Amino acid sequence: MKQTPRKHAPSRTFRILCSLGLTVFAFCTAARAQDWVHIESSNGVDRIRIAAAGFKPLAADAATQNYKHLFDVTLYSDLNSAGIFDLVSQSLAPESTPGTPAEMVVAQWSAAPASAAMVAFGSLSVNGGNVVVNGWLYDTKNTVDPKVLGAQYSEPASDESTRHIAHEFADEIILRLGGGLPGIAETHIYYVNAHGGNKEIWEMDYDGQSQHQITHLDTITLSPRISPDGNRLAFASLGHDGWNIRVYSMLLGRMVSFPAIGGTNLSPAWSSDGRQIAFSSSRSGDPEIYIGDEAGNNLRRITSYRGPDVSPVWNPRTSSQIAWISGRTGLPQLYIMDSDGTNVQRMTDGGYATSPSWSPNGQFIAFAWDRKYGPGAPGGQDIYVMEVATKKWIQLTHDTGGRCDFPSWSPDGRHIVFESDTGRSSDIWTMLADGTGRHKLTTGGTGTMPNWSWK
Amino acid sequence: MATRIHIAASPAGNTNLAGSFFLHVLFAGSIVLFAYMHHAFGHSWGDSNQNVGAIQASMVDAIPLPSDATPTDNVLATDNPSKAPAPLTPATVAKPQPDEVLIQNKTKPTKIAERTTPQNLHPQTVAPSDRIPAGEAPGMRIAVSTVQLATGTSQMSVPAGDFGSRYAYYVNGMHHTVTNNWWQQEADPRASNGRSVTLLFDVLRDGTPTNVRVEKASNSPSLDISAKHALQRVESFGPLPDTYRGDRITVEYTFDYQLH
Repeated sequence: MKQTPRKHAPSRTFRILCSLGLTVFAFCTAARAQDWVHIESSNGVDRIRIAAAGFKPLAADAATQNYKHLFDVTLYSDLNSAGIFDLVSQSLAPESTPGTPAEMVVAQWSAAPASAAMVAFGSLSVNGGNVVVNGWLYDTKNTVDPKVLGAQYSEPASDESTRHIAHEFADEIILRLGGGLPGIAETHIYYVNAHGGNKEIWEMDYDGQSQHQITHLDTITLSPRISPDGNRLAFASLGHDGWNIRVYSMLLGRMVSFPAIGGTNLSPAWSSDGRQIAFSSSRSGDPEIYIGDEAGNNLRRITSYRGPDVSPVWNPRTSSQIAWISGRTGLPQLYIMDSDGTNVQRMTDGGYATSPSWSPNGQFIAFAWDRKYGPGAPGGQDIYVMEVATKKWIQLTHDTGGRCDFPSWSPDGRHIVFESDTGRSSDIWTMLADGTGRHKLTTGGTGTMPNWSWK
Repeated sequence: MATRIHIAASPAGNTNLAGSFFLHVLFAGSIVLFAYMHHAFGHSWGDSNQNVGAIQASMVDAIPLPSDATPTDNVLATDNPSKAPAPLTPATVAKPQPDEVLIQNKTKPTKIAERTTPQNLHPQTVAPSDRIPAGEAPGMRIAVSTVQLATGTSQMSVPAGDFGSRYAYYVNGMHHTVTNNWWQQEADPRASNGRSVTLLFDVLRDGTPTNVRVEKASNSPSLDISAKHALQRVESFGPLPDTYRGDRITVEYTFDYQLH
């Protein structure tokens, strides 16, 4: 009888060693995958050292003093949060308060300890019921012709107007010193605010001031998206016939028609020209991405895979690409495609990704990501930014004490607003696009789903 | 086909068992015998050769280390009580004699009139110093903006006129914008490393860049194209300074690609 060679079964010790080796290898691989890939967010250009001198009040009455204080605080805050300045601390500034160019001694500001390269100064008065502000920006290193900017503003006297003038003046400074990118001091943030069982759309200034309610629908509204021209506000609202996209006219101050197409319709997104609107609809039974015109007509479906496709956002630079979240392979992942549904690319390699927002220059996508999603998995949901061309990503939020979600880019591409949810409360936060300078905008614990205006 | 294995008792089994038993008994007996012999005639621990291979130590009150102090006659440094010192006897000093010190004749010092004429009749010219006294002159303005990036160094300047020195903040702002819009991954690292590209472009009054051209190519097409793309992505650098009277400026932008 022919004997076949006997195969030696691996011993128990050998199997244990192999298992141990594989475990160590898997651990090392996982540890290596956790290394952060840093995208260079600093371009190497030094920040401009600028001083904001207290504006000189031209009257001693309480109202003028009040407006002067409000103006100084707002201007300082705007310049400080612009992300391009190194602001001179007020304790290092000279004690003089120049109100006109004749009173300005540039050497005081260019010398230590202020060492300012630029100084903003001026005067404030109340004339005929108007707040009148004269402001200048001087280049302290240019002794021949130091004036960079000179402007005069006059608006009806009120706290709101004074803040608005400070925002305008700050934006003028940022436009001249920021390399052409306009400032964001006059932009607004739209968000959902829960109140008494309902959720309505609210609006606030970019710095969290002037919070006020926009919609009064007495229902649940989600995902506010302001149009590029700032005239229309689209959102998803729960009505008698389910979730539908609805549009509010900021000019008319009331709702305008948008067709109800059936199914659950969520997460609208405006194209950069304001002519098209994309959203997700389950009218066919499975949530898919649809694109229609600004009035909700001429709908076309651009996704067809089985599995939920939600949260579309346009590439604002070209309006020819769409990023969205798809669950076609299981857990929701970030994808991009052309606006006709072709050239689909998967961007994330795992975890649980939600809420994309495309940067104004088209280079980055910010999104919320739980990279180790699952029971007992380490970490949590944080804000990430991915470079579209290379798929390199960087984590912006760490240890915030809550779940971060719904990022939205500022129009200058230097800031990101997002929601931080601790489980018991949620608030709106803002930060620079490199994750620094984080601070809270709302304090009520009921703010969610922020959306930054286009301008 | 099944195979049966028959196990049967054999006479040889008993012989092997007896042999094994005998060997075990012999082995155990030899161990016992060796132990007895070693105990009766061998050496025990510490019984002999006590000075070899062992350390003997004894406790003492103090280790008699030699003193390094030198003997001294100072009474304060001894344990013996000092005697009372003898009273000092005043020293007697002899009185000086009147003619011991020779007194010389006094001489009047001659007065020297102050010189009224300058020592140097011909004025000396002093070479001017290149040093600028601190605090007496404004800082020097360099009309070239230089930035160190992760993949090299970039420079921006306005060659013509004094725009670069008068409006350095504007040049820095332009530089800021170009580097923000330059996607460095577009340049092939292997082909571009160590190469340099120089571009020229115009900026209109409203800040729009136009007429982008390569002044000095790098011989790395990907580097040249990536630099041109950076400028093409810029919509505006912001309006030119109000006090600048020209309608456009020409800007030179140089990038040295150098991987660290």
